Amino acid sequence: MLRYTLRRVLGAIPTLLLIATLAFALLHAAPGGPFDTQKQMLPEIQKSIEHQYHLDEPLWRQYLHYLGNLAHGDLGPSFQYRNTSVNELIAQGFPVDLAVGGSAILIALLVGGSMGVLAALHRNSAGDHSLMGLAVLGISVPVFVIAPLLILVFAIELHWLPPGDWGGISHLILPAGALAFPYTAYVARLMRGSTLEVMASRFILTARAKGLPLRTIMLRHALKPALLPLISFLGPALAGVITGSIVIETVFGLPGIGRYFTTGALNRDYTLVMGITVLYGALILFLNLLVDLGYAALDPRVRFAR
Amino acid sequence: MSYRAFPWALLAAIGLAGCNAQHPSTAIPAPAIHVGTQLAAEQVLSRTLDSAPPLLDPSLTTDVTTQFVMDDLFEGLTTLAPDGSVVPGVASSWETSADGLTWTFHLRPEARWSNGSALTAADFVYAWRRTVDPATRAEYAQALSPILHGLDVATGARPPNELGVTALDAHTLRVQLGAPTPYLPQLLTNMYLMPLYEPAIRRYGDDWTRADNMVSNGPFKLQENIIGSRLTLDKNPNYWDAANVKLQRVIYYVVEDRTAQAQRFLAGQVQFIMTLPTTDLPYYRSRLGEQVVVAPYFGTLKVGVNVTRPPFKGNRALRLALDLAIDRELIADRVLNGAGFPAYTATPPLPGYPRPIPQWAQLSVSARHELARRYYREAGYSASRPLRAELSSSSGDQGSTLMYEAIIAMWRETLGAQVSLHEMEFKILLQERRLKKPELFHDAWIGDYLDPYTFLEQLNTGFELNNSGYSNPAYDTLLDKANQQTDLQERYRYLAAAEALSNDDAAYIPVYYYAVRHLVKPYLKGWAPNIVDRNLSRYMYLLEHEGS
Repeated sequence: MLRYTLRRVLGAIPTLLLIATLAFALLHAAPGGPFDTQKQMLPEIQKSIEHQYHLDEPLWRQYLHYLGNLAHGDLGPSFQYRNTSVNELIAQGFPVDLAVGGSAILIALLVGGSMGVLAALHRNSAGDHSLMGLAVLGISVPVFVIAPLLILVFAIELHWLPPGDWGGISHLILPAGALAFPYTAYVARLMRGSTLEVMASRFILTARAKGLPLRTIMLRHALKPALLPLISFLGPALAGVITGSIVIETVFGLPGIGRYFTTGALNRDYTLVMGITVLYGALILFLNLLVDLGYAALDPRVRFAR
Repeated sequence: MSYRAFPWALLAAIGLAGCNAQHPSTAIPAPAIHVGTQLAAEQVLSRTLDSAPPLLDPSLTTDVTTQFVMDDLFEGLTTLAPDGSVVPGVASSWETSADGLTWTFHLRPEARWSNGSALTAADFVYAWRRTVDPATRAEYAQALSPILHGLDVATGARPPNELGVTALDAHTLRVQLGAPTPYLPQLLTNMYLMPLYEPAIRRYGDDWTRADNMVSNGPFKLQENIIGSRLTLDKNPNYWDAANVKLQRVIYYVVEDRTAQAQRFLAGQVQFIMTLPTTDLPYYRSRLGEQVVVAPYFGTLKVGVNVTRPPFKGNRALRLALDLAIDRELIADRVLNGAGFPAYTATPPLPGYPRPIPQWAQLSVSARHELARRYYREAGYSASRPLRAELSSSSGDQGSTLMYEAIIAMWRETLGAQVSLHEMEFKILLQERRLKKPELFHDAWIGDYLDPYTFLEQLNTGFELNNSGYSNPAYDTLLDKANQQTDLQERYRYLAAAEALSNDDAAYIPVYYYAVRHLVKPYLKGWAPNIVDRNLSRYMYLLEHEGS
């Protein structure tokens, strides 16, 4: 397993290099530069600023310079927030994304998981239909509709929760809830399907024939195999909630890196956008690896190929 | 089963809320707020900003948003009253030489830095030299060009110590100008002319703007800055007028999304929002009544016309036809929902300035349109040979798209002109305009200082932001003459003559003067809408109230 992990980690390096190169090329190909502003700068000063950020050098040298810094874990200074480094911005913003994304996945697993199991146990009942109807709704309605509606109901009409900003648990509930919506729905459908499948298998039939109560069958025998499909869903989903929370961050005004990413792209903040792209790439690779390892741990049929 | 009851309740709530937003004209008025007469026990103000201040160094930043925060953190020789008029700041008085070129400022001996150190004339000398010093790499160093040798220092032709600013003693500052600048007192309120505390900058370098390191001289000091989220400012007890500052704390929330700003206001999290979207105005008016504040702002939206290329090059009649065919009243009323005022000049209304409004503005709409069609034919266009052109604008603002669509429709209906809208990222628009590629383009400007020159300079031959490529020696001469006048009225006379010339040439198409669009709680007092839209927290206070 150790060798397998090591091989995967080493294999990730060319992928990351490719991501960094593509990000660099695309950004520099976009028209307009980081220091093109509405108020035209004096040419002398523009040159001086470009020199400070190595923008006056040939592209290949900028590229090597960037890769050199990247190898040392230095993502460079932000162009847009002068005097602040990209590392610093990520260190400030990433925990916010982790908290919101992590909570959203937790909500999705707990709520969606229970919904799925309940629906499976009462298959084809009115409860099953309404739960699954709700799940279809959750998958179809985009987050940019859900989020303002949650604000309208819970912040503006009921005054229960703050409409935005970042601080305590109360600031986490609405964004995590909104972000969790489609994932909850997806988990519910997934869980219903896998529970039905497991419940129809022979070892469950044996357990029922032995007269075990449903509760014991569910918790002790059915839950673990039914959870397996969720694991493979979890990796991409976790990457999805962390990288895909840009809309949520904008609507709730959270200081996460998704917002830096969008404003950075519009302002041609090359280093900031490249830094976040590489981080997102690394995150997705890492989570995929975790999923593969987790799968092996849960399912004895999975073996590491040489 | 309880799990079945939950979704219906939620759906009902969502449905209700959705209807509310769908029919703005029938919005339920917000619950009334009862305002008392006593000061509220807690004097903490929360306001919004449209974007995150990129950095809090007065020398280096250029954006409008940062100025709001700087107005609270720093104070220049002069500052602004709630109504936007210029009042003494760190300088309690000043006098001007007869030729208008030498100004002597007398600083308040009681002025202090937030760490308690005395503020002296040398702090201004240091700050201004730092701003123009090319080594500082200040993006807007040329803003100090009215000061003697300002431009030469910024371009590296002279050393910073030759800048025309001298500390005669600890509390007397002499400023020498290259040309008479009657609007200097107003200019001095801007962030790039604030004093700076040299020991902090020497000690911390670029990091001096961090909350722990910053030493400032304004009514408030920086407590916390979470980039992209919020800035917290606490009252500065060492401010010379601290006795009259009632707020203990000001929190600026960064909320790029303007609808989200309004939501924060409705939820009671903020008492003052920077900008309300024009498209939502009718809804908020019916829901919040007088809490919606719309007032004139010192900016103009124009359609720029590229006069260096066909079809507009050398074709005054065609430019006039487009100019006359726009019904500005309709745009201001129906498209902007009142958040803009019909414009016939580049310079917005300014007390004392005789705006040269063209004669045709007095005509009825139908008479204007008749005239527009005559010019259109004179320019060589007709129904069988319509004008085909492209208007370039920046994407991302729904209100702006609607307005340009309306203008294009007016051109189509009145003249039969076929103009298409091409929207692009703002950065790309900036570049395209600089390269003089677009035929017609979005050309908005907010005045940097209260003088027509900030608008008129843009049609000066060779000026770097002259996007239309207009060049008229008579116009340039009038601007030069204006800049030599020491008397403000004389200055205005020359500027108005220049502006009349460019209007007559239809060198640009003014559409509307900007308006500020705030939401303000009725218990927030000590502020007034003003044309520079700078509302210093220094004067604001909160009254006792029930409801939020």
